[in-house]
Amino acid sequence: MTNELVDFTLVSIALLAIGIYGLAVKRNFIRMLFAVEIIINAANLNLVAFGRFIPDSGGQTLALFSIAIAAAEVAVGLSLIIVAYRMYQNVDIADFRSLKG
Amino acid sequence: MLEITSTPLVIIGILGTVGILLPIISIARKEQGSNTFYAIIAFAALIVSMGYVGYQFLEENVSPSALFAEDVVVDDAFGGFFAIAMLIVALFTTVGSFNYMRKHNSPAVYYSLILLATIGMVLVAYSTDLVMLFVAWELMSIPTYILVGFRKKNPSSNEAALKYFLFGALSSAIIVYGISLAYGLTGSTNIGEVIQGYSTLDPSMLPLALLSVGLFIAGFGFKMGLVPFHQWLPDTYEGAPAPITALLAAATKKAGFAATIRIVILGMVVLHLDWTLALGIIAVMTMTIGNIAAIMQKNISRMLAYSSIAHAGYILIGLAVAPHSSLGLQGSLYQIMNHAVMKGAAFIAIAGIVTTLAVTHIDKLKGLGRRMPVTALGLVIALFALAGVPPLSGFWSKLMLFGSALDAGTALWWAPWLAIAGVLNSALSLAYYGWLTRKMYFEGETEKRVIEPKSVMAIMIISTIFLVGFGVYPEPLIKFVELATPVLSLGSMP
Repeated sequence: MTNELVDFTLVSIALLAIGIYGLAVKRNFIRMLFAVEIIINAANLNLVAFGRFIPDSGGQTLALFSIAIAAAEVAVGLSLIIVAYRMYQNVDIADFRSLKG
Repeated sequence: MLEITSTPLVIIGILGTVGILLPIISIARKEQGSNTFYAIIAFAALIVSMGYVGYQFLEENVSPSALFAEDVVVDDAFGGFFAIAMLIVALFTTVGSFNYMRKHNSPAVYYSLILLATIGMVLVAYSTDLVMLFVAWELMSIPTYILVGFRKKNPSSNEAALKYFLFGALSSAIIVYGISLAYGLTGSTNIGEVIQGYSTLDPSMLPLALLSVGLFIAGFGFKMGLVPFHQWLPDTYEGAPAPITALLAAATKKAGFAATIRIVILGMVVLHLDWTLALGIIAVMTMTIGNIAAIMQKNISRMLAYSSIAHAGYILIGLAVAPHSSLGLQGSLYQIMNHAVMKGAAFIAIAGIVTTLAVTHIDKLKGLGRRMPVTALGLVIALFALAGVPPLSGFWSKLMLFGSALDAGTALWWAPWLAIAGVLNSALSLAYYGWLTRKMYFEGETEKRVIEPKSVMAIMIISTIFLVGFGVYPEPLIKFVELATPVLSLGSMP
């Protein structure tokens, strides 16, 4: 059980990399939403870890704000997905191509 | 400590109360229709907020542009300038939706979301703390995701909303990551303290500071539509309801620039890095790709979407040369105010055309000058102002921007090339604006005149007065821009 700042930062960078990989490779809209959420959580982990090692409570406050806002964002995103699913019977981003030019 | 009568707090109070009350009223009244009722309430709230901002300026209760403050928001001239630009666009959108929303359900929710998004945009411009900036950014973004997808039965509106949501969520995730790095390096979320922390940073930490500034550019760049991050923009602008496109193109884009000026530009200055070349390259690419793609479009919304990308490039010229020329930021702010009115008016004109004639293909716009004379005239004036034709207001802001690039030529050998690229791009844009104008006035048979929506006509008249008036007599607007431009010097550090 280590307790170094660099460990938290490494996990956070790994999460960022996983998120970017997911956005680049996946074509299912819900999976892409997961990838974005993973990036947000990587940032939250950073904030909490930095806040503990500085030490300062500001980081944890921002992490709480960011969790609450991410929840609101996901709620909006999933509702958009439900509306689109009713129309296309699918959530694959490659099938949404009514707009072109 | 902020007083309760300071502009940002009063705007939150007015718009927030009305924005939350509108859906409650609609539930209490148990009816769907009466678009007029909600539109008038939203319009009144926006007019009152706008009046308050103007009153604060006239009474000189506004502090001079300070990029830093101890509080989370600051009541300064920079924020007030952006607040006026965004409230103008919100008013255009509200009035322009008046006819558009007759065919759609739940008007109360629609206007309420416009008001909430407006609070977010105004707060982005006022905020001096990264936490506040992020919360305001999300308050701006989340309502617009829903507004873009407001036509639930329409496939293109849905697709536009999904694409916009995905890129918007990614941009806010990137911004939080940038904030987390800035906080970890400097131990504070106050923008002034972050910038000061950057200026005294240990050299071994410089790559991380660079990464955080780069993440901010990428995150804000998605909203501004800078070139590597612009793919979502044409699709979203085409699929969204036309009045909402005005809100996106003319207002949320400006919020991105406000945030960039508050953080990135000063971060660049204190990190002693030559970011100007990188921003200059992005500016030229954004202008050129936007204009070249706009020429090939057949849909008028899409053409203006690409021209909106090009305009982000013009504004970025001023930011790129800002450390070397005092005119740079002034030119950017001037162009931001003009672009808000020009693009707002152009997209509201399209909203009027879509509501009345239900066409967006450019070939179907033949003879528009005879079918909808007032709308067509307003659209043409806005288009020529966008291209920067004298004596319209857009000419002076472009002159100031390109002048700042020439002015910075003493310090940066490549800066005059930015001005040359800008002039060539303006000429290129005049080609497709002129082509559109020719279609509207000199082609087609003798079509009959149709009844134009009065609300759209009112906006066309106001925007024409603004563009021609400030084109012939630009001094008041230039004075206002000078008042709002922050001084970029390390002496202003806290």
